[in-house]
Amino acid sequence: MKLSFYPRLAWEGIRKNKRLYLPYLLTCMGMVAIHYIILFLSEMPALDRMPGSGTVGSALGMSGRIIALFAVFFLFYSHSFLMRYRKKEFGLYNILGMGKGNISKLLFWETCIITVVSLGIGLVLGVVLSKLFELGLVNMMAGQIDYEWTVFPDTMAVTAMIFTGIFLLLFFHSLCQISFSHPIELLRSENRGEKPPKANWLIGLAGVILLIIAYSIALTVESLVTAITLFFVAVALVMVATYLLFGAGSVMLCRLLQKNKRYYYQPNHFVSVSSMVYRMNRNGAGLASICILLTMVLVMLSSTASLYIGLEDVILTRCPKDINIELQMQDIKYLDNEILDRFRDRVSRILDENQVQMEAVIEYQVGNTDGILLNGSFSQDEEAMQNFNFNTASTAVLLYLVPLADYNRVMDENMTLKEGEVLIYPFCTEYTASTFQMNGGRIYQVKDVVEDWIDNRNSAMTIIPTIFVFVEDLEAFTAPDRGQNNSQEDTELRFEWIYAFDLDTSAQEQMNICHQLEQTDWMRGLEDSTIIYAGEVDGQEDERIEFYYMFGGLFYIGILLSIVFLAATVLIIYYKQIAEGYEDQKRFELMQKVGMSRRDIRRSIHSQMLTIFFLPLLMSGIHLCFAFPVIRKILLVFNLQSTGLLIATTVGCFFVFGILYTLVYKLTANVYVSIVSGVEGQ
Amino acid sequence: MSRLDVSGVKKIYTTRLGSNRVEALRNVSFSVEQGEYVAIMGESGSGKTTLLNILAALDEPTAGRVVLDGQELSKVKEKDRAAFRRDNLGFVFQEFNLLDTFTLEDNIYLPLVLAGKPYKEMKTRLQPIAAQLGISELLKKYPYEVSGGQKQRAAVARAIITNPKLVLADEPTGALDSKGTDELLRLFSGIHKEGRTILMVTHSVKAASHASRVLFIKDGEVFHQIYRGDNTSEQLYQKISDTLTMLATGGERG
Repeated sequence: MKLSFYPRLAWEGIRKNKRLYLPYLLTCMGMVAIHYIILFLSEMPALDRMPGSGTVGSALGMSGRIIALFAVFFLFYSHSFLMRYRKKEFGLYNILGMGKGNISKLLFWETCIITVVSLGIGLVLGVVLSKLFELGLVNMMAGQIDYEWTVFPDTMAVTAMIFTGIFLLLFFHSLCQISFSHPIELLRSENRGEKPPKANWLIGLAGVILLIIAYSIALTVESLVTAITLFFVAVALVMVATYLLFGAGSVMLCRLLQKNKRYYYQPNHFVSVSSMVYRMNRNGAGLASICILLTMVLVMLSSTASLYIGLEDVILTRCPKDINIELQMQDIKYLDNEILDRFRDRVSRILDENQVQMEAVIEYQVGNTDGILLNGSFSQDEEAMQNFNFNTASTAVLLYLVPLADYNRVMDENMTLKEGEVLIYPFCTEYTASTFQMNGGRIYQVKDVVEDWIDNRNSAMTIIPTIFVFVEDLEAFTAPDRGQNNSQEDTELRFEWIYAFDLDTSAQEQMNICHQLEQTDWMRGLEDSTIIYAGEVDGQEDERIEFYYMFGGLFYIGILLSIVFLAATVLIIYYKQIAEGYEDQKRFELMQKVGMSRRDIRRSIHSQMLTIFFLPLLMSGIHLCFAFPVIRKILLVFNLQSTGLLIATTVGCFFVFGILYTLVYKLTANVYVSIVSGVEGQ
Repeated sequence: MSRLDVSGVKKIYTTRLGSNRVEALRNVSFSVEQGEYVAIMGESGSGKTTLLNILAALDEPTAGRVVLDGQELSKVKEKDRAAFRRDNLGFVFQEFNLLDTFTLEDNIYLPLVLAGKPYKEMKTRLQPIAAQLGISELLKKYPYEVSGGQKQRAAVARAIITNPKLVLADEPTGALDSKGTDELLRLFSGIHKEGRTILMVTHSVKAASHASRVLFIKDGEVFHQIYRGDNTSEQLYQKISDTLTMLATGGERG
């Protein structure tokens, strides 16, 4: 009897507060389940069978840690909300003669029940759903599906341990709260009157300033290298600014509205503005969290979705033809048709053996190196390299020198250059100077900046701006810069032969041929080592598989995390609505007595909720707009160059979210109205 | 014609399944003249609050009718009730019922704002009332910053700023200390002298002794009434006490 008293009391407490505990329990279960699933995915055997899926594996592992961290914060948030309402009950127990020791026992049992239920159901849910998520992931990565059922007891144990830890923390937290408070305080904690907040101009202003700084950073970032570093600074600033703005800024705004008597003393605005002052102050953090979560989800989803949708573009950028061969020669003199014919022959021999034809052949010679470009002067001297820092990163370039004949052939043009002229094609950058000079040598006139040139694998894979210079005679042009030393340092000019073509055969066959080409002696450096420095063969099909693994996996993780964060957002909203509903019960009851009709009340509730609800969405939309240039630049690293696609995906994501959000709004608004009118009807 | 005419009002509460019937008001009839200050007394459960809710059009009687200034309450459509209350009735509650999100000033303006009155007019209306109630200095303060008596005075200001036909007060002194009570009753007498009609429901003999007439309700019926006549408050106090004693000891109807 004595043994079962506390568990029973604890159970009753949970059961009677269904409206509060059910969402909390669901949150716990969901968190446990998703944590197990993500850890499971990062270790699943199917991943090992996919080449190049290590990125996805480690991204999943990291997501697991993110989820665990998020769970700590989020469960604390939800739990503190619960405690606010339970405290009254505990205060009553206390007054009725239960000591704080007894209440602690009660809390202990409550924690036990919650832990057992959420771990039990959560893990079962996780195990059941893990296969489904695995299939989803494998499918998205375009991998081989198997229907074997796997359970990782170790992973389950890890999840169980993490969450038991979190629940223990929560238990101690509530113990502290109980033991430091007076019974009367406990009784009243639910409806303790709060001071109307003063508008804190300083904090509000700080928020605005921080936001402006963050936005201007996002807008003015020029180079990709700086984009990534500064992006995190901007994100941190935006987060802080959002919290400040929703807390103090909105109070400030309401105060200003209140000062405007003609606006304020109108039936529609009077009630909503004044209660919003309270709302914003107390729920500023909640609203800011919603806003940040929404922004995060939107950024994550739109960027990973863009990558996934734009996958084919990316592959074509990186690997324009079915087979791409790159031979780096020991010296420019080997870029000679007679020698190159030997390699052409060997390629055709392999193709003949496989009975396939090559199509749409692209072939050109190129000399490349890198250095600093400033006002049309390309320089590689030590001083210039050492003075290079992130602020001048936009002038660090890859330089590609291509014979004009190759340009004309590949682009099917008929350009001519006079003595001392060059053509320029800038990639990921702009070229504004009218001359070109290399290492303090001869100054060439830029005849034209051409619009187009085929994508180049190397330049496409880096994030450094690239300048293509088309010259009449590659050998003559590079003569002053060649042969200063023979070591293959970074600054040395490298001479390459690019040979790319399509094949009229199946993807499987293409991969076969690609592998055969890779295995040739001259490609493996076993032969002709005096001529060839290094060689590389890239098959589009191999690339495609790898990218499906990577982008598919990333997109999937994006979706997974979005679901978690979205669910969290919904819960925060739900808790907010309940909290406000209980708060407003009395207020609206009174307003009705003073002469506010039900219709007025409903209208006022609506306008108030609409503002509060859609403010975070609006704000996250604004954040997204300003983040857009940076996201675009970062996606360029992944070779996603279609801005249109990114815009479409982002707008699409925002739109879908808007609809989802409205749905959540409708549902939770009903809860709110039913709470408010619950007393109204009595 | 009387300002308020209540005749044969009956209120029966039934539980959801209809098995249990509770008769809160059996048969209540009385009328209040223009400019009268009426106190209604009765023990807990005698039906006072039910009666007040019916008078305020917050609840409907099972039978009987309530006529305020020629307008029958049950004829007022549901959607017009709020506006009707706002325009015709002023409320003073035991727990003040000021909204803590508003300053005292805004709390007082609430019914006028709901009625869509311009700010200028509200302000001119407030000034004399605030001066009369002695809260001119407190208008910018929030309810949590002032004492109970001051809160109640703001509530009175809110009740009379609309120039209502009837001021309904529900235990207005219930949450006040003796000093606050005295002050409030003095104010009520003051606004009564201005010609306002007041109906006050109360437990307190002291509060009732300031009224011009006292009605006693017992078991859902008007059991007895006393007119002030030429009595002083002290004399009336004595009479009310006697009546209550008689009611409690179960004396016959007087």
